[in-house]
Amino acid sequence: MSIVMAAVEQGLIYGLMALGVYISFRILSFPDLSVDGTFPLGAAVGATLIVAGWNPYAALGVAFAAGAVGGAFTGVLATKFRIQGLLAGVLTMIMLYSLNLRIMGRPNLPLLGRPSVFRLAAQWGGIPMAWANFAVAASLALGAILLLHLLFRTEIGLALRATGDNPGMVRAYGTSPEGMVILGLALANGLVALSGALAAQHGGFADVGLGVGTIVAGLASVIVGEILLRPRSILWALGAVLAGSCLYRGAILVALRYGSAVGFTASDLRLLTALVVLGALVAPAWRLRQEGAG
Amino acid sequence: MKLAVVALLMVCVVSAVGQPIVIGITQIVDHPALNAVRDGVIAVLSEAGYVEGENVRYILANAQGDFSVAIAIAQNFQDQRVGLVIAIATPTSQAAVQVFQGTAVPVVFAAVTDPVGAGLTLYPNVTGASDLIDVAGDLALLQTLIPGLRRVGIVYNPGEVNSAILTKMAQEVAAGMGLTIVTAPAEHSAAVLPAAQSLVGRVDAIYATTDNTVATALEAVVQVATAARIPFLMADPTSLERGALVCTGFDYWDHGRLAGEIVVRLLEGAVPEEIPVAYQKGTQVWLNLDIAQAMGFAFPQAVLDQATGIFVGGRRFVAGE
Repeated sequence: MSIVMAAVEQGLIYGLMALGVYISFRILSFPDLSVDGTFPLGAAVGATLIVAGWNPYAALGVAFAAGAVGGAFTGVLATKFRIQGLLAGVLTMIMLYSLNLRIMGRPNLPLLGRPSVFRLAAQWGGIPMAWANFAVAASLALGAILLLHLLFRTEIGLALRATGDNPGMVRAYGTSPEGMVILGLALANGLVALSGALAAQHGGFADVGLGVGTIVAGLASVIVGEILLRPRSILWALGAVLAGSCLYRGAILVALRYGSAVGFTASDLRLLTALVVLGALVAPAWRLRQEGAG
Repeated sequence: MKLAVVALLMVCVVSAVGQPIVIGITQIVDHPALNAVRDGVIAVLSEAGYVEGENVRYILANAQGDFSVAIAIAQNFQDQRVGLVIAIATPTSQAAVQVFQGTAVPVVFAAVTDPVGAGLTLYPNVTGASDLIDVAGDLALLQTLIPGLRRVGIVYNPGEVNSAILTKMAQEVAAGMGLTIVTAPAEHSAAVLPAAQSLVGRVDAIYATTDNTVATALEAVVQVATAARIPFLMADPTSLERGALVCTGFDYWDHGRLAGEIVVRLLEGAVPEEIPVAYQKGTQVWLNLDIAQAMGFAFPQAVLDQATGIFVGGRRFVAGE
């Protein structure tokens, strides 16, 4: 498998999570840290159900619902109990750590050899696993942005978008911005949990440690996508998030692949990942300036 | 059989063309024990004639604690067409197996406490070494050290799969030994100190297994245990200098060597299917006499006699020296 294909495959799987981060941070302007808990929550719920014999697609659905409950909880803390958004997210995140351990009954649940949405697709379509991985990740991620695009055109969707920009306007139209924050966070964390469940099926295990670095990767994807594609419509903005996620995963793969050739060691991975992302951000601007000068 | 042919072909092709065999080594974090495993593997391989840069090339990768990177590493190994994968610790092994299942590339895992529970024993191209420690033996040693021992406190991270398994094992065997286990969970290194403090006055001894979180913040447990005069046993020999009263278990460099021996057998034509999972043997017992003196604790002569070595006057001595 080429680096590009691996980057896109992983970028789309984790892109669902980045879409959730986009909804909370950009659309709702809510700094939601619960994602570090809802991502492994999705993995835990999804993996537990698969081990219990559930269909992997149904497991994804329940994982989405579980993440939505987690997000709504953060929303209720922030709006009904007036807890600062950052703290509300942190509280949900740390509660979920213990809850995830309870759900799985252990810190790590292997899915090796169990059915997954990827394997089902490979069997159903008679295609190799590499293609099935790609096809499933692509259809779920593109399906998600299409559904979100349609949602954001409805009355509720417009209210959601207004919540982050101008809560007063939302109130003026007779809708409660608090309710919109709860709904938006539920949707965002549902997507994050869906991504976690999918990542567990893709990676072959669920682990309570799976949440480490989720918010960082999510934010990086959102911002990289925005800078590179400068989207003007909501559909483009959602697409840019997926593109940013693919680029972020690509940066990790490039760092892994070529890092040692330029004298970096295994322990420099994070530094190198950041440098690759930085390079991708700076290069277009630099080239423009060169052309301008010439 | 098919695998055997493929594996044999692979080795033949490699030696015939004179191209070095590429070995990918993936580990989940930079950690002294896990690094020692990696170094032990490489040491055995070079002793067996597989020298870096000559007939073998290593791709070292470290997920730096990010599980999603563990998958990326395995995919990168596949992309770079490695001939063999060495996966250190449970999640990296699961990620490697997920990517390499159904291929002819052998995956050798190491530092996995419960390979069966981790789902690693289901594949013909996967084998490896388990670092399961002798929990019952450690509890029995504590009984010998402390007459009338009733309650043993275990500091552990419930989020670490290895630690959770060993703590559960301790709880299972304790009942039959007339012991009660009191657990003190610490979900990250900063939580180790309060966890150890919570045990003071409630236990006769403190025990820590191969828990990475406790290992990181070992000094916190040592400080609490020494001040409260509670004997502390850590199942890791490298913790001796850091102030544990008793250290058991094995050297992770030796564990790396155990995994390395499997790798050498595979490189010489064996198939993973024929190599059963190797369980680490040779538990050591190290006694810290400096800490014992500070605590006013006296080791029974029988334990001193059977110890692998002692730590006294700031130095480690192997028995017989």
